Amino acid sequence: MADFPIDKIQISGATLASLLHRCSSSSGDIHGYLFGLTTLSTPNPLSDHPTTTTSTTPTTLLTASITSFLSLPSHFPLPPPPPPSTSAVLLGWFSSRRKTPLRPSLKDSTTALSLSTTPSLFLLLTTPFQDQLIHTHEYKAFQCKGITFEPKTINIVNLGPSFRSQYDSFSPNVAFPMMDCELRGSNSMVEDENGENLANKKRNLKDQKQLDMCADGFEVGRLSKLMGSESAYTGELEDLYDKMLGKIDGLSKLVEQTNSKVLEQENHNMRLRYKVAGLE
Amino acid sequence: MAIDTVPPLIAAQLNYLVSHCPFSVKVEQMWSGCKNPNLLDRFTLVIPYCLDFIRWDVIFNAVYPLAAPDVIFGPEDESFQPYDAGSEKFDKNSLVNWNSKDPTRLLSLISELRDAYIAYQSRRIGKVNDDRLTFEVSTMLTRQGIEMYMNSVNDKPEEVKFAVPLLDMDLNKLVAGSTWRHQQKIYLQVIYPVGKKSPAPRLKLVSAAELRAFFSIEEFKLPPWMDGMCMAEYLPTLEEMLGFQIKDAVSSIETRRKFIMALEPLFGRPVEADPVFCRRATFLASSGVFTFLVHFSISLQFPKQQPAFLLQSSQHFNSQGAPIKSSNLTEYPWSPRWEASQMAGRIFEFLADECLNFKKYCNQLNQQ
Repeated sequence: MADFPIDKIQISGATLASLLHRCSSSSGDIHGYLFGLTTLSTPNPLSDHPTTTTSTTPTTLLTASITSFLSLPSHFPLPPPPPPSTSAVLLGWFSSRRKTPLRPSLKDSTTALSLSTTPSLFLLLTTPFQDQLIHTHEYKAFQCKGITFEPKTINIVNLGPSFRSQYDSFSPNVAFPMMDCELRGSNSMVEDENGENLANKKRNLKDQKQLDMCADGFEVGRLSKLMGSESAYTGELEDLYDKMLGKIDGLSKLVEQTNSKVLEQENHNMRLRYKVAGLE
Repeated sequence: MAIDTVPPLIAAQLNYLVSHCPFSVKVEQMWSGCKNPNLLDRFTLVIPYCLDFIRWDVIFNAVYPLAAPDVIFGPEDESFQPYDAGSEKFDKNSLVNWNSKDPTRLLSLISELRDAYIAYQSRRIGKVNDDRLTFEVSTMLTRQGIEMYMNSVNDKPEEVKFAVPLLDMDLNKLVAGSTWRHQQKIYLQVIYPVGKKSPAPRLKLVSAAELRAFFSIEEFKLPPWMDGMCMAEYLPTLEEMLGFQIKDAVSSIETRRKFIMALEPLFGRPVEADPVFCRRATFLASSGVFTFLVHFSISLQFPKQQPAFLLQSSQHFNSQGAPIKSSNLTEYPWSPRWEASQMAGRIFEFLADECLNFKKYCNQLNQQ
């Protein structure tokens, strides 16, 4: 995709906000990788208007949507690009610098060359020279072609009717785990042997583990009830959602705790760094 | 309020650059990219290039001063890519293995980038589709140290500037005892319009301001540019003429020195004198009990142009407490054909009368 021209770049409001927050909360300049999805679409050139139909030929548009990122302080070199995963593809990289002109730097161009085998989207973020209350950041997207940075427009995806297609093409980052869920009727063979029982138990345990990753304390056995009568189904499903939300809640609490530990450590590191830099 | 500080490791790099750079680098502004706005870690360097200046932003990180800096070039140079992939410079440039403890690193980075910039500009100019220009460039390339710059308007080349260093002589050594910090050079600025039918270049001599104490390029008349001429023909004639005039300028230092020395037997040793270019000398003189200073200033056209001098009383002061001075005296008996001793003698005679007028003038001012 490195030599594929990107036609459209999209980033969700939430991802951009999270990226800007990371930039402004970090002690110095940062850079990192951008992940997301690429979609190919063939816009329909046919129109009701008689004049437009003849001239246009259908072309394929490549849209890159940034959904997540990975960041580290700029004084560390970018690590080798992570291996491709199923949930998000590597789209490119970003660089954030406080109070600098909104132009690619020497380091950006050497990075572009060293990453020449990876995707070529580049997002540059800076802050204005004068601190401002509202307009706190500036950003510009580029596609790297060899040694040139070609400016690209970037769309911010927010809630609203103009972004309906976003929801149509939604695909979850983490899918609900696949697991066999047999209907175990009362007439099932009684001659279940011990060995088979053990295998069942093992599989149950494994399934439970997988389910525990998504929901907080929902027994695997209850999943089969989701296929029962309508009233039971609704109740069970609501409970499953509750447990899933509970899981997310628990995770975010953990993140909060570790974040405060990281912050504590960072402050400590900062004091040490000031010492090394001779600023005390 | 905290005082703005430059982290010591960054300050060491910057100080070394400014004091040791062979071309005169200036820092235009410094600011902070940190959460603590008093730590200054980014600055704009003004770097002389092709008789003009380029501005580069150097981005350090106060909190991580051990890390190598980043550089952002001017808005018109976005395609400037100093380290091409695969080239030797890509793996072995000044940013690789940056050592913040070695204060010479920023200087080597900036000079390496400036060299790359010279190559970049000449590559750009090489691509301009203008036969005349291509021809001129090819004939001039044998000369050392030429810098070029292309001005574009809306991505279209508009004109190409050349800075051609003239005369293969070391002016700093030619002038005995000169205290010039940078290597002095006289340049011919050549500006070629791109894609015009009659490509007569615009020509101008340029030198550093410091050189003016020794040689005035403003008074040098450039040889005329003939139709159908090329730089390869023009430059030797120009250099020959300029070479003669530089030699004259060197020998005129000696003429001025002899004149100052001829004043000595009459006025006594000078209180102060410019020993390098011999453009100024001050003597202490007296007439009876009236003592005064005589300030001589000697032009580059000496002896064709007579020296100017003014008198300054050692005994009379104005209401602000500053010593009273005469106006500049330039009208007195003079001939450029006189021997130095005769020049000095005539000035001394003239002053013997003039100082009485000056004393009267001082007394009058003080009585008011």
